Amino acid sequence: MGGALDRVADALDVETFLVGDSEEECLRLARRLMEELGLPDHDVISLQFRGLGARVRVRAYLYRPGGEYGWLKEGNASGG
Amino acid sequence: MAASPATAPRTRRVLLAPLDPVHDVGLKLIKKQLEARGHQVTLLPPDLTPEEVTRAALAGRYDCLLVSRTVGYESAEILARLADLLDGAGLRPRMRVAVGGMAVRPELAAEMGFDAGFGPGTPPEAAVAFVEEAPPRHDEEALSLQKPDLCALYSYHWKDTVIGDAARELARGIVAWAEGARTPGSERAAVAQAMLVADEGERLRLEEEYLHLCGDEVVAMRRGQPPPHGRLIGEEEKRRALGLFARGRGWQPLTVTGYQRLPVVFVQYGTGCPVMDALHAVVAARWGAQGTVHFDPAWSARQEGLPRGLVAWSADGTFYTPENLQFFREATGNDLLWQVRAHRGLNTPETVVWAAAAGADLTKINPVYGSLGGGTDPERLLVDAVAAMRLAARYGLPFDVVTNEELGGVPAHKAIAGMLAVVATALELGARPILQPLFCYSPEAMLEGYMEQDYVDWNAAKVIALRRIIDAPIWPGAPIGFLTHTEERVQSAVTTSLHAGLAASLGVDAITIASTDEAYSRGPITAAARVDSLRAVGEVFRFLGEARVSPTTRAEKLAEQLLEGVAGTLRDALRQPSFCQALYAGVFGTREEGGNPGRAGRGTVTRSAPQ
Repeated sequence: MGGALDRVADALDVETFLVGDSEEECLRLARRLMEELGLPDHDVISLQFRGLGARVRVRAYLYRPGGEYGWLKEGNASGG
Repeated sequence: MAASPATAPRTRRVLLAPLDPVHDVGLKLIKKQLEARGHQVTLLPPDLTPEEVTRAALAGRYDCLLVSRTVGYESAEILARLADLLDGAGLRPRMRVAVGGMAVRPELAAEMGFDAGFGPGTPPEAAVAFVEEAPPRHDEEALSLQKPDLCALYSYHWKDTVIGDAARELARGIVAWAEGARTPGSERAAVAQAMLVADEGERLRLEEEYLHLCGDEVVAMRRGQPPPHGRLIGEEEKRRALGLFARGRGWQPLTVTGYQRLPVVFVQYGTGCPVMDALHAVVAARWGAQGTVHFDPAWSARQEGLPRGLVAWSADGTFYTPENLQFFREATGNDLLWQVRAHRGLNTPETVVWAAAAGADLTKINPVYGSLGGGTDPERLLVDAVAAMRLAARYGLPFDVVTNEELGGVPAHKAIAGMLAVVATALELGARPILQPLFCYSPEAMLEGYMEQDYVDWNAAKVIALRRIIDAPIWPGAPIGFLTHTEERVQSAVTTSLHAGLAASLGVDAITIASTDEAYSRGPITAAARVDSLRAVGEVFRFLGEARVSPTTRAEKLAEQLLEGVAGTLRDALRQPSFCQALYAGVFGTREEGGNPGRAGRGTVTRSAPQ
């Protein structure tokens, strides 16, 4: 039986509000956050800065279309 | 419009190139703006290769090349190829190049050596600034907001004379009944007023007087004991927070209301911590909120007296203390309409005093809701509410009159009748009340099936009925869409925004909106949840513009039904010995319906003269 990440259909989105002084700083923080979470393959989907910080949504693709899906691995596909 | 000679920039020759199969509207918008400012612009056709774009750039003497790329696939490869070709052709030293579009990230552009990169959502003005080599037009200048007066346009003329006469008769009775009555709450309000103008020595004496009017737990807190699961916030932490919030306020807010002047959009705060509250409020203001509503703890509303100090705790609601209120005002600046609620507990008149002293713009008073749905004894709260309304009139603080007893099951016509009696009392005392019907999926609506068909007609009926009764401001709350939210974020944002669209369609003066965490009750609301609701509301306002959501004919019938019910309830109240007796007797909601006369403060009213 695989881990829970194997059962993620495609991607993991992280959404939060980051406190920072500029859009650039918040962008760096968003990326560092994903690195710290162990998700180096990520993309900043949206980031809106309006002073004080940014509303941010960062995505880590675990499986891209055409890849080898964890949820189809032996033992996972049968619901084990 | 062309730039005026005084502001006209040097004319540039600009080449615009869409590296996509079809034209990018962004380049067309940029072209229009550049030409309006006198620049010479050439827009290439779409679907050219990097080689063809390079040849076109070589053929003219351009100052700038703006390239757009919307399609994501192979963007990096194509833009890298273009960068190499431009370099190879020797164009880069004399021509500035920027790339933009949905597929572009500024850092990608920088990696490839372009002079600028404009990602999704970049306004055309940024490209214009690039061409003109002007500083990018950020929104860093704080907007000087004109805080609206929600009551200014209204005469408070009673249009329905039957209802108006009954409400006014009840109001005169309430004022006469409250004459000479006092409570620990009204006495503390008097002490609080004296404290505001006292010197240090006198304040110490007044503090002792105040403590004699407080419950034990409040006395302990005023003597320095933090609240359970709470702490006092130190000076250094306060200083850092104020510095941070001052920087955050230096950004122009997004505009939520768009084409519509109204409604003014309020958000609620009350995380338990004044610092977190201020962060949420500053964030909400940057995303377009125009007002905030302070929620105090339910626990505190049932205590005699208010704590003091800059104090936080980890339960619901943020304490009213003079220091917390002052901090919030200082942290958030003066560009938000600020409501401090005084409506339901044992500290109602005193709250008005501290709210006014801290610079609040609005308060909230309704003894009917506070006693039938808020847990305070009707006699106690009615005396305190009259005192609070007098203070609100003196300080020039308008207040809304809520009808939240509907959430407990009280029928809307009874809640509205109670609200109107309070509105009449407020007018009798020279105050400026605001009607606050609930936009909610109330128990009554569920049981009677008023909202089975839609969420429009029943809410619209309340506004239609109120408009026929009195010419007064209307501020549906609180929050709009109450009991229609779920914990799912998208659903929550959508239901809030659609109710906001309905409110805008009905032309009401203000709304209070929930965050997308409205239905989540196992933890505090998050800053992101506030942003999401505001963005959703902004989108619906943008979608509607000056168009309107139209109720069905059923709304008219429901409004007529409400008018009849309101008139009947007021008649029933007039048959009681006093308005206070009417509250105990269930005229404004029986126990079975959900109107439960509260017990907090029972037996604390004293009278200086027999009534």
